[in-house]
Amino acid sequence: MAVMETLRRSTASSPSGLGNIRRSMAEPSRNIDWLLMFAVAGLSTIGAFAVYSTTRPRLLARGVDPYYLLQRQIAYIIAAAVAMVILMAIDYEWLRSKAEFFYGVSLVSLMLVLVAGAVRGGARLSFDLGIVSLQPAEFTKFSLLLLLAGYLSEDESEVLSYHRFIMSLVILGASVSLVLLQPDLGSATVLIACAMGLLLVAGAKVRYIVSITSLAIASAVLASLSGLVRSYQFRRIEAFLNQNSDDSALRNVVLQVRFAKRAVATGGLTGKGFLEGPLTNGAFIPVQSTDFIFSAIAEQFGLIGAGVTFGLFALLLWRIWRIAKLSRTRLGQFIALGAFTMILWQTFQNIGMTLGIMPVSGLPLPFVSYGGSHMVAFAMIIGLVQSVHMRRLR
Amino acid sequence: MPVATSGKRLGVLGGLSLVLLGLVVTRTWFLQVVDAEGLETRVQEVRTRTVQLLPERGRIFDSDGRIVADNERVLVATIDRAVVRDPADRAELFLRLSGPLATPVTELERRYQSKMYDPLQPVPLKEGISEQTALFLRERSEDYPGVDIAEQWKREYPYAPIGSHVVGFMGAILERQLPYYRNLRYTPNERVGQYGVEQTYESVLRGKPGFVRYEVNAIGQILREIERAEPEPGKDLVLTVDFDYQQFTEQALETMLNLRRRVDAGTVRLENGEPDPQYPEENFYKAPAGSSLIMNYNTGEVVALASYPNFDNRWFNAGITSEKFKQLFPNTTDPDQAIMVNRAVSGRYNLGSTFKPFTAFAALLTGQIADPKRYKYKDEGTYKLESIPNGRCQEGVKCVFKNAFCASTNTPCRYGPVTVEDALAVSSDTFFYKIGEQILTQRGYKPILEEQVRRFGFGAATGIDLPYEFSGALPSKELKKQLADSGAITQEEGRAFYVGDNIQFSIGQGLLSATPLQVGVGYSAIANNGTVLRPHVVKYVLESGTPDGDAGYADLSKAEILEDRGENAVTRQLDIDPEARELVMNGLKRVITGPGVDWDYYHKTTGEFLFKSYPKKELPLAGKTGTAQGFNNLPWNDSSAFAAFSLEPSQPYTAVAYLEKSGYGSQGAAPVVKCIFTAFAGRVTPAEVIPADPLDVNSNLVAKSQRLPSPLCLSGYGGGVRD
Repeated sequence: MAVMETLRRSTASSPSGLGNIRRSMAEPSRNIDWLLMFAVAGLSTIGAFAVYSTTRPRLLARGVDPYYLLQRQIAYIIAAAVAMVILMAIDYEWLRSKAEFFYGVSLVSLMLVLVAGAVRGGARLSFDLGIVSLQPAEFTKFSLLLLLAGYLSEDESEVLSYHRFIMSLVILGASVSLVLLQPDLGSATVLIACAMGLLLVAGAKVRYIVSITSLAIASAVLASLSGLVRSYQFRRIEAFLNQNSDDSALRNVVLQVRFAKRAVATGGLTGKGFLEGPLTNGAFIPVQSTDFIFSAIAEQFGLIGAGVTFGLFALLLWRIWRIAKLSRTRLGQFIALGAFTMILWQTFQNIGMTLGIMPVSGLPLPFVSYGGSHMVAFAMIIGLVQSVHMRRLR
Repeated sequence: MPVATSGKRLGVLGGLSLVLLGLVVTRTWFLQVVDAEGLETRVQEVRTRTVQLLPERGRIFDSDGRIVADNERVLVATIDRAVVRDPADRAELFLRLSGPLATPVTELERRYQSKMYDPLQPVPLKEGISEQTALFLRERSEDYPGVDIAEQWKREYPYAPIGSHVVGFMGAILERQLPYYRNLRYTPNERVGQYGVEQTYESVLRGKPGFVRYEVNAIGQILREIERAEPEPGKDLVLTVDFDYQQFTEQALETMLNLRRRVDAGTVRLENGEPDPQYPEENFYKAPAGSSLIMNYNTGEVVALASYPNFDNRWFNAGITSEKFKQLFPNTTDPDQAIMVNRAVSGRYNLGSTFKPFTAFAALLTGQIADPKRYKYKDEGTYKLESIPNGRCQEGVKCVFKNAFCASTNTPCRYGPVTVEDALAVSSDTFFYKIGEQILTQRGYKPILEEQVRRFGFGAATGIDLPYEFSGALPSKELKKQLADSGAITQEEGRAFYVGDNIQFSIGQGLLSATPLQVGVGYSAIANNGTVLRPHVVKYVLESGTPDGDAGYADLSKAEILEDRGENAVTRQLDIDPEARELVMNGLKRVITGPGVDWDYYHKTTGEFLFKSYPKKELPLAGKTGTAQGFNNLPWNDSSAFAAFSLEPSQPYTAVAYLEKSGYGSQGAAPVVKCIFTAFAGRVTPAEVIPADPLDVNSNLVAKSQRLPSPLCLSGYGGGVRD
């Protein structure tokens, strides 16, 4: 086992003559990126406050303890921290060796959720396990990243072979198609973004990327026209294209985004103050605690709060980017870059829809939004990236 | 270890990430810094809900301070429209509400769809819910989102049906009134005064609505109160009407009408004395309706104003179905059956001989009778027109007008030489026929009679503070043209104003129409020596919140008077020649006391017999009977009129009664007035006014019947002359 090996190796290193330096510089536990940890912790903390402010009025309205969902969120953060530490302790090379298995498990659970998943808002996204619900799509992000990074890093040539390019698309297509069936358009775009980022850095020919992008767009248009994509997904795009529409079919989506934008706008420079946001307190924005959490931050903490959030995301992404640069293995580099694209895209997509510059697609804001699955899944990804960093000097 | 990725490709990815992050940062900056202000006001509108607070309506007291219109606080369940906009949500919530509110879902849905409720206000689902139901709904607000409990006022009329024609009632705003009340910022589902004082004083009684603005969440639940403006309660009113006399008058009127329905009007006979086969032999008076009023002839205050048929004004907020309502208040074209007509102010009546004093004044004050004291006319029972040549008369123009028949001879009564006084006392028609002809033909066909009686208030609205007043009509060339144009009379008839028209006019028949109230105003002007008053039923407008006194009474000593409605109650001051007035007064006194005239045999005056049992010494009176001929001049269509006033300055009252299709003036109306003055004289005590029993919504009676506990004051022989 990789863990045992790590432990054995650290105990095996004999005391040298270097005073009280008992462990090697390459010792993984001495190479944790604490700034990256800080960014994650900061975002989770802001998230906890925002989650409380958005869930409180709804819980009060139902006559339930207003701290109920905050407590759950804290439990998720703890679970995520545990998952991250475990991932950090495991050698990423060993994880790579099991990537096909993880991805297989993901695909199976994606299939199962289509059959046995709990229906919410017309989509089967999660397993209802009583006290918690699991969204396999979130864990697919982790397993796809691991598998695709591993697969693409095997080819060390400058230019990605056509065979590998196609195989990558097959790997990607398997999960994306299942996720689209749920349907979860948002998660699908995150998976695609991750793959596109990896293909880019793996040296895929530009014409491959261009052709695959245009193919994706064409199929999306075809799917929406043929009704394969559920009509409400299509409506979200329609609502995005026409944000001042009075059409009653688009009304809910249009209003959701309109209120979210108003919440951001009325926050101003310093915000309305914690628990003082009228639109948040009035529960005007549906699914504010997950998809529209940024509006709660901006309304209550204003431009300053939004700026701090952006700063933490920038820090997070910069540290991952730096880990990629510092990594001496192609696998490590690809893992970090895949994680980078994935987090970048999901963050942009989530905040973008709150601000009305992206269509509504139901994605949580990494580490900030309410919810256990994405929290744990992203913690695993960060743990994986940390694992790369911790073992870079090996 | 070689890292194969080219820097160029990493650069693309890095650049892309900077672009994406830049986009969201810039967008956030724009929203928060640039657009913030404009969006702020829109947010304010969205997250608040304004609920109107209706003011407590002003209360109405009678002249003694008795509370005759009160308010009861009721709880109303309402639903926020935004919460149930979706039909599926609405169906589910209404289903859940149907039980607690004990209302079918269809009714809730009907109210939601109804245009009668303000689209910006919560929809009232059920009025008058119990405290328990309200508590039940409030405690389960999460199961009943958007449901709220509002407080409203319900109007109470503790003494209904007494005075309902004066106090009136409240009702929903009618479709045609909607624009008017919208302008006044009423909400469409508000109830407004629709009759009586409730209607005329709506603006005073209503008060000023307040509002409360709440911050609400997306599902309409109230988070907190932002702003509150308390409603200003309406002003209270004190009526001039005394409910002791109001009840007494209503009882006397209804009792008398009932009595008249048991009297046979007689048989119509042919020339040969045989019964006319086209009519039944027995014809009971129909006595379907009538009115009676008392007014103070010094101030114009109306002390009592009764109209029959009466109605219980609580029906209008009893929440009965429209079928039930139609059953109680049928739509009818038969004027005898109309309920919602205050006949004292809206009745369109011939006055009969009660009009004669005004014809007498017209003749006396214009010099038509040159030497009044010595003027005598020899009454032979018939009067032949002087102004029409005999030839024309033989061609079929009506030239001969008769007195009423005397029962003892079955021929037109002959009163011999009569003075003005005598003519009024025995009600000689021919005496007034002559005036009617000469005042037209000898004065160049000028409308002198019309002008003169107009000065006494006929032909114009009195200005009473009650709705739907009829202003009356005086026969004239213009009126005839109007009537002909509207089809009421033929074009042939309407072509000109003939002598015959003035003859009819002189005895209060023909095209003359007036209200009993106008008669009251006219007789009051005789009583008070020429002051034509503006009658009124409201004495004071009071500052709102008059405290309660004894049970059922307001403490008027603590009331603050805002407006005295008795000010400027004089419409016109007439200059009446004292000699003329004396003659008319003497005639009117003799109607009550006698004596009549002796010609052939003793002809008693029209009221002499009836008023035998009246305490003339305690409260001397002057009055005049009248019988208005009805359709085809059939005896059972005679309407009975009587007006009288007190000669005692400490009790300055005029009383008028008009009983439709009830017989001669002395038979129907005079007994009612007699009863009223017997009460003023202290010989009868009006029954105690006690609060009514709760309205029985299953009853088919539009009003509980009201009878005099002791009808003795109505008794007395009415006389056999159609007066």
